[in-house]
Order: sequence, then C-alpha cells, then structure tokens
Amino acid sequence: MLRIDGLSASYGNIQVLKGISIQVPKGKVVSIIGANGAGKTTLLKSISGLIKIQEGRIVYKEKDIAGRPASRIVGLGISQVPEGRQIFSHLSVQDNIHLGAFLYFKRRNRLEIQKRVERLYEIFPVLKDRTKQIAGTLSGGEQQMLAIARALMGRPELLLMDEPSMGIAPLIVREIFDVIQQLNEAGTTILLVEQNAKAALKVAHHSYVLERGEIVLEGLAKELLDNPKIKEVYLGG
Amino acid sequence: METISFAGQLFQYLITGLTVGSIYAMVAVGFNIIYNVTDIINFAQGEFVMLGGLIMVFFHVAVGLPLILAFPSTVILVTAVGILIDRLAIRPIRRPSVLTLIIATIALSILIKGAAMFIWGKDPYDLPAFSGRNPINFIGAVIQPQYFWVFGFLVFIAVALTFFFDRTIIGKAMSACADNPDAASLVGIDVKRMVLLSFALSAAIGAIAGIVITPISLMEYDRGAMLAVKGFGAAILGGLGSFPGAIIGGLILGSIESFGAGLVHSGYKDAFALIVLMAVLFFKPSGILGDIEISKIKRF
Repeated sequence: MLRIDGLSASYGNIQVLKGISIQVPKGKVVSIIGANGAGKTTLLKSISGLIKIQEGRIVYKEKDIAGRPASRIVGLGISQVPEGRQIFSHLSVQDNIHLGAFLYFKRRNRLEIQKRVERLYEIFPVLKDRTKQIAGTLSGGEQQMLAIARALMGRPELLLMDEPSMGIAPLIVREIFDVIQQLNEAGTTILLVEQNAKAALKVAHHSYVLERGEIVLEGLAKELLDNPKIKEVYLGG
Repeated sequence: METISFAGQLFQYLITGLTVGSIYAMVAVGFNIIYNVTDIINFAQGEFVMLGGLIMVFFHVAVGLPLILAFPSTVILVTAVGILIDRLAIRPIRRPSVLTLIIATIALSILIKGAAMFIWGKDPYDLPAFSGRNPINFIGAVIQPQYFWVFGFLVFIAVALTFFFDRTIIGKAMSACADNPDAASLVGIDVKRMVLLSFALSAAIGAIAGIVITPISLMEYDRGAMLAVKGFGAAILGGLGSFPGAIIGGLILGSIESFGAGLVHSGYKDAFALIVLMAVLFFKPSGILGDIEISKIKRF
C-alpha cells in the first residue's frame, strides 16, 4: 500500500534521514522502533507532507505523493496522529472530532459523520462524557484518544501513529494498543512509530529498527522480539 | 436646572464615547480575526477603515451610486485590497516569523496611506448621513441618527462573527489554524487559505467601520494609523483574541476618551487611549476577558 524508496530528509543542515526504504503492505501493522532522535518523527512527517523531502519516492497506491502539501494528503486516505497529540487545545472535544471530518463536513454527509462519531464513542467511551469539555483540559491519555479519534474521522485507509504511548500511564498505553489492534482487525493499515519497543513489536506484523537516520534491522516483529541485539538495546536485556 | 444639564452633558459624552468606541471595537475585532488565525498584528487594519470611508465617498458621492449599491461595492473593493495584501505581501515572505510579518503590515499601512494621499489628496471628505442629520433630543443629549447605524452595525458584526466562529466548520477551522497550524493541515485544512480568509474578513469589517463613521467624523488619507492605535488599545484592553473583549474594550476606550476630552481637556483626547493601553500592559497584560493561562503560552 505504501512504499518508500531511498528517502532522505533534513532539518536545516542536519541530515536526519539517509536513504530509507520501507514497505507497508495493506492490512498490516508495521512498526518502526528507534531511540530519540533516530528520525522516526521526521519519517512520518515526510509521509504526511509536513516536511519537504530532499530525495526519494513515497509511493502510495501506485502514486508518488512526495511533495504534496499535507492538507491534500489527508484526502488520499492517510491520516496522522501526531507526536505529542497536538489536539486543538482551545476547542471542545466535539469540535476537535468534527474538524477531523473537515474535508467532507457537509450537510449531505451528516448521517455518515454522525455514525462515525458514534462508532468512535464506542471505542473511546471517555470522550463521550466530555464532548463539550475544552480539549486542553483533558488528561494526557484522553488527549491521545482524542487525537486518534480526530485522525480516524479523516476516513483513513492508512493511519500513521507517532509515539502514541508518549507520556501516558501504562494502563492507558495498554488500552491504546488494544485499540490499535482493533482498528487493524477492522481493516485499517497502520504505520506505528514507537520508542516503547516492546509494545510496538507485540502489536506489529513487521518491524524496522531505525538508528541515526538509517534502517539497521528489519524483520517479522515476532522474530525481532527474540533477537538478542534488540533485547539488549531496546527491551532492557 | 444646572444639575440636569450637567447630567445631560455626561449623557452626551457617554453617547459620543460609545459611538466612537463602536468604531474602535470594529477595528479591534479586525485585529483579533487576523491575530487568531496567524498570531500576527496587522497594523494595516486602520487603513481598511480609511479606505472604506474614502471609497464609499467615491462610489456614493462622486459616482452617485445609491447607498444600497455603494455600500456593498465598497466592502467588496476593500476586501479585495485585503486579499491582495495577503497574496502580495504576507504569503511571499520566505521563512516568515511573526515579527517580520508585523513589520510587513506596518510597511503596507505606510504604502496604502501614500497611495490614498496620491488619489484623494489631503482634504477630509464628507459623506451624507444614511438617514439624514436631524438630531434627536433625548434626556438633554443630542443624538445623531447616524449613531444608531454605527451601533447597529457593531451588533450585526458581533452576532454574525459569533455565529461564524461558533457554528460553522470554516469558522472552527480558522480557530484550529491559530491553535495548531500543523495539526490543522493534518486534518486537511489549507492553512494559507484560512489566512487569506482572515485578511478578507477583517478588511470587510474595517470597510464597514469606515463607511458608517465617515458621516460623523469625515475621513481623510492619514486617519488609519491613529485608528489602528486606538483599535489595538481596545483589543489589548479587552484581551487580545477575544471578540467580546474587543467590543467591551472598544466601548470602554471610546467612553474614556469622550469623558476625558469633555471633563479634562479635549487636547489630551488621543493621550487617554495610549495611557489606558500602557496601564493595561503594565497591570493586566491579558486584558479584561483574556485568559491568563493562554496569554502565557502565546508568543505575545
């Protein structure tokens, strides 16, 4: 579904990604693990169009989408849950969710939108109790759920998730990873970027290890879980 | 009878102050629209008011269009100026920082003022009042019919904007851009288009302010800068970014000015606004209705 060939990108003078190639097959969960500063977020931002890339191809459904603006890429069916949630903190929970449907928020789509919102409230019942609350006053875990809900309103076929476990209580992390699994079972392809290697490897089919802007290892997630090197560096022995 | 006429005089100051304050409020609202979407202060906001007044004089007096046609034509033309400003001066700036953009708007206000002087000269222009100039006497105060038009348009703008930002998805998308532009583009909002829309909208409101005030105070090419300062004072007083704050701030500022001019000395009229502006910045930078928590995270 998504294929990246030789992607390079930089922040100012610092080369962050050095010719990365990955594949995300339809219907799978692919995770990318790596330490802080390895280039994980830059990779996702390159796909979603927030960063201009220097070299390489980003092929989605047989079309090279590199260089298109972020606001167009959503319409192709790629939604991103950004790092650190990035919800619209001054707006209400409901407004955040509705803005997720910005591209098709028209009267004739009202029923579809209503259905999607109801479905999201089934997945995240906490949000239903807080529809009118200002999003910035939610807890970290609730904000993460809202960020996922907002991204899902964009009708994604491919969901990009940037560190969904960051700064969240362990119990909620488990809940969020359960949701990731559910979404995947319902047919959404997911590209997940995580520092929490254990959780990321458990939920994924296939994984890549990113170090200093390069892919150093890849394989079935199950196999990587048993890989001695991964165990030592990323899983704490 | 002395006391009654003094009360009447006070009432007169209040009415005048609220009328002038309505204009400051409209300018402040214009500031807030652009500020809320882009975080920048558009110092050319006062020029929209000046252009509104002078272009209206052109259409209504010089060309002879009836009020009902001249009014929308003027608003459309000034809106077009607002759009051009965004296209030609704001968007092309490479690696924009808030400061460079603000300086660009200052340059623009000088440019527009120069162009207006070139076109209209330095004389003030008059515009016939919408419903004549027969004043109404009310509790000892003299009220021009045009005052009601000014109030009416302020109320109209307040209601329309509240509806737009609270109830429509485009309005919410504009707030989302201010909140987090990256996240906004991730849900498919074209941030640049929203910036354009904010310039168009605040130009339109500026034009309306200019049109309704010209029959009361005339209009000349260099009025914009002072209106921008007063409007900015009103926006700060009410809390930058807050629409109810802008309206309250404008009305208070207008009243302070009017009472100050009447009771202290009319020569200090313009000083009062600046004193208020500085006092607010010293003692409560977040303004009357501004959120102190939000003002801490904002860049201004």
